[in-house]
Amino acid sequence: MWPDWINMLSWWQWSILAAIPPAIVALYFLKLRRRPLEVPSTYLWHKSIEDLRVNSLWQRLRRNALLWLQLLVIALAMLALARPGWHGAKLTGHRFVFLIDNSASMQATDVVPTRLDEAKRRAVGLIDQMASGDVAMVVSFADSARIEQTFTDSHGLLRRGVEAIRATDRTTSLRDAMQVAAGLANPGRSEEIRDTAMPAKVFILSDGKFDDVRDFSLGNLEPVFVPIGTAAAANVGILTLSTRRHELRSDQLQAFARLENFGPRDVSVGLELLLDGRMIDADRMSIAAAGTKQVAFDLGSVTSGVLTLRATAADHLAVDNEAYAVISPPRLANVLLLTPGNETLQWVLQTAAAGAIAAVQVQPPAFLKTAAYRKQAAARNFDFILYDRCRPDEMPQANTLFIGAVPPAPGWSAKPAVGRPQIIDVNPAHPIMQWIDMGNVDLAEATPLVVPRGGSVLVDSDVGPMLAIAPREAFEDAVLGFAILAEKSIAGGKPEVVYLTNWSIRASFPIFALNLLKYFGRQREITDSGSLLPGQPVTIRVPSDRTRLTVEMPHGTAEIRPIRPGEFSFTLTDHPGVYQVRDGETVVQRFAVNLFDRRESDIRPRAELALKIGHVKVVAQSTWTAARREIWRTLLGLALVVLSLEWYTYWKRISV
Amino acid sequence: MATASTLLSPELLTRLEAMELISRKIFRGRMKGERRSPRKGQSVEFADFRNYVPGDDLRFVDWNTYARLDRLFLKMFLEEEDLHFYGLIDASRSMDFGQPSKFLFAKQLLAALGFVGLVRGDRVKIETLGQPLGRTSPAFRGRRSLWRMLDHLESLAPGENISLAEGAKNFCLRNPGKGIVVFASDLMDKAGYEAALGWLIARDLDVYVVHVLSPEELDPALEGDLRLVDCEDGDEAEITAAGPLLARYKQTLAGFLAAARQFCVRRGVAWMPTNSSEPIEELVHGCLRQGGLLR
Repeated sequence: MWPDWINMLSWWQWSILAAIPPAIVALYFLKLRRRPLEVPSTYLWHKSIEDLRVNSLWQRLRRNALLWLQLLVIALAMLALARPGWHGAKLTGHRFVFLIDNSASMQATDVVPTRLDEAKRRAVGLIDQMASGDVAMVVSFADSARIEQTFTDSHGLLRRGVEAIRATDRTTSLRDAMQVAAGLANPGRSEEIRDTAMPAKVFILSDGKFDDVRDFSLGNLEPVFVPIGTAAAANVGILTLSTRRHELRSDQLQAFARLENFGPRDVSVGLELLLDGRMIDADRMSIAAAGTKQVAFDLGSVTSGVLTLRATAADHLAVDNEAYAVISPPRLANVLLLTPGNETLQWVLQTAAAGAIAAVQVQPPAFLKTAAYRKQAAARNFDFILYDRCRPDEMPQANTLFIGAVPPAPGWSAKPAVGRPQIIDVNPAHPIMQWIDMGNVDLAEATPLVVPRGGSVLVDSDVGPMLAIAPREAFEDAVLGFAILAEKSIAGGKPEVVYLTNWSIRASFPIFALNLLKYFGRQREITDSGSLLPGQPVTIRVPSDRTRLTVEMPHGTAEIRPIRPGEFSFTLTDHPGVYQVRDGETVVQRFAVNLFDRRESDIRPRAELALKIGHVKVVAQSTWTAARREIWRTLLGLALVVLSLEWYTYWKRISV
Repeated sequence: MATASTLLSPELLTRLEAMELISRKIFRGRMKGERRSPRKGQSVEFADFRNYVPGDDLRFVDWNTYARLDRLFLKMFLEEEDLHFYGLIDASRSMDFGQPSKFLFAKQLLAALGFVGLVRGDRVKIETLGQPLGRTSPAFRGRRSLWRMLDHLESLAPGENISLAEGAKNFCLRNPGKGIVVFASDLMDKAGYEAALGWLIARDLDVYVVHVLSPEELDPALEGDLRLVDCEDGDEAEITAAGPLLARYKQTLAGFLAAARQFCVRRGVAWMPTNSSEPIEELVHGCLRQGGLLR
């Protein structure tokens, strides 16, 4: 098999190199230029070198041997400079895109040192095979793509671009990378330069742990999938870690975790559970090959802290062997009730069960006009506001329930009042309506609602929706189409309190109130204690009077300076661990970032070594060897050996 | 006699005054000297008186003078001969090498020996090999001739281009008398030194060969690829000076010296190898006294 060559020198450098052998030969014809030195007499010197002259034929042969050796050295050096190589596929085409996966699963060590290093090595091997004049670009991708080097023909820049790629703990999405590649590789997609569109070859160096890219047109792109990773890859990953209050004893906390073995063999896993860095529980379990195990830990009465679950198993991916969870101290929901007076409603919001969930503040409708209300409503101080027969001028930054009033939000309106509507349907799937029986509720008067788009009806009647809920930005608005009571003057007399429904004396009413508080008041706790994926942005609540907060991250500290109070979107969640938002010394918010991604943890190679991009099936080049086998080092070593031989011969020559 | 000279230091002169040239052969000189001649009574010409010292032969007491002066004088009846001392310097260009040069060294040596001869009333003649056949060089006698001799020596310069044999032949033809000849040369002649020494030996001269070599010849400090050019005939030798070649050169040199020694010893010629970097005093006191030239 003939080698292929890589030209390392320009034509003038080659011509200089080519001039060396004739120069050596010429020097031999011209003999060695010796330094003349006058001596008293050459008499003795002639006698001394007479012996050399005796065997001058051998001498000439040896001198010629030197010449041949020197020519051989030069020839070997030239051969080395031409960089002959074998087995490396010659890159055809002129434009290349190297998509290098740097997601979490690429940190797997089943390929030494890591899959990412192997991908980089192969990419450099491919870059070395590029002919001069070919252009390429380097893109790294995890859940988003990043251009490491735009199109260039400089091998050095491309190599540096590849070397600059660092591993991330993020998930994988090929679509983003393909779009970047397509955008840069298909300039023809913009109308005016369609003619300059050139086909480009896309090398996807990845372990293939991502979804196939659907609805994507490759255009001029010709994808090549270079799979990285071995079938021997084994991994045990923690896929879930969550905490929950004990069902019976609300002061007791439980932690649940799910582990999965993605290896070909059964493994024994040691588990350590740490609370604020202190080990509080340990376990050891065996997980069958491709099996799942769930484990629960009783934490006791823990109010707050950081849980760390550590799984010790011999596997190839370390990033999913630790999981974190934040236990937030129970926080009472901040609830505002605006009512001109509604005893039953106030009662059901102040039961013992409700008091454990929410702190309810009762204000008259006149409170709406105060500056204190406006400021708190805008700064999200309230989790949930109930408007009983009153409405604000603009919607607050909170979840709301309107009783007998229509919110000033677009889409909401009420039909004229109707007497004695019949409740005919309840949506029990919604958390608000759980365990609520409306069959024994009668309504005296109600206004059927017009629900905005995206909303859902929770209680329906024969005349129209009586209770509906609809999303608004980050909040939800619920509207009750009837008031519980009203003040009416009967026959021109003094206004009296008139109940418009008997719901308030039914058992379902306090349950409904509790459901409301649980649903609206606790909604935010999900983001407090839930887990984020690496790289996923998180919303940080900024207290109204703060302009500076610090975030302690597992890999450092960041300072955030929100432009306006309210919310700040924090994106530096690159590494798994616990992030703490601090306002000075006090911790404002905590959240955990975990790689709870089954696809990243499952580092086994794809069952079918092929990708599907759009309608094109890209078969992996499994037998393809990226690294070109080159012999220039051997050639240079050989040249050095010949050079030593030449020196030895020369030494022998002068020493006779 | 404390006089400074470029060739002889005062100290050396002082030490040389006590010395005497000796010859292994007794020669007949032209004038009386301080040497006994084997030919007694041949010349009865009055020469001198000298004080009687007890033990002198009473036969030679001048009784007439005793009668007149009442003092005993001895008449010098015995003829005493002078000695012919020849200094022969090889003034070829090769002698101009060395630090100090071999030529200067040879001149110093001959100045010293010549001074000894002058002090003892010998006839001293110093010549170079290249001196033309028809031109004679001045002869010196007596202590007062020292400066003339030194001037003569100073005037000698290297640069003659004549073979050893030719020079020796010319010397012999110019100087028919017998005596001591001290030949200072490096003997580096591609035609060989044997013929030259043969001429001197044939004249029945008492021949002393001072073989002068410079340190550069004895232990050459050469390095690298060199084209050696002979300063006399322009002959070239291309060498690559490295350890093995230098070792071989030393072997050759040792062989050359051994051959010269053997040649001289077999023919009754005194052969003294010298290094031009050695002080002349050491040579005079060591080598030449041991060699029997000085007493």
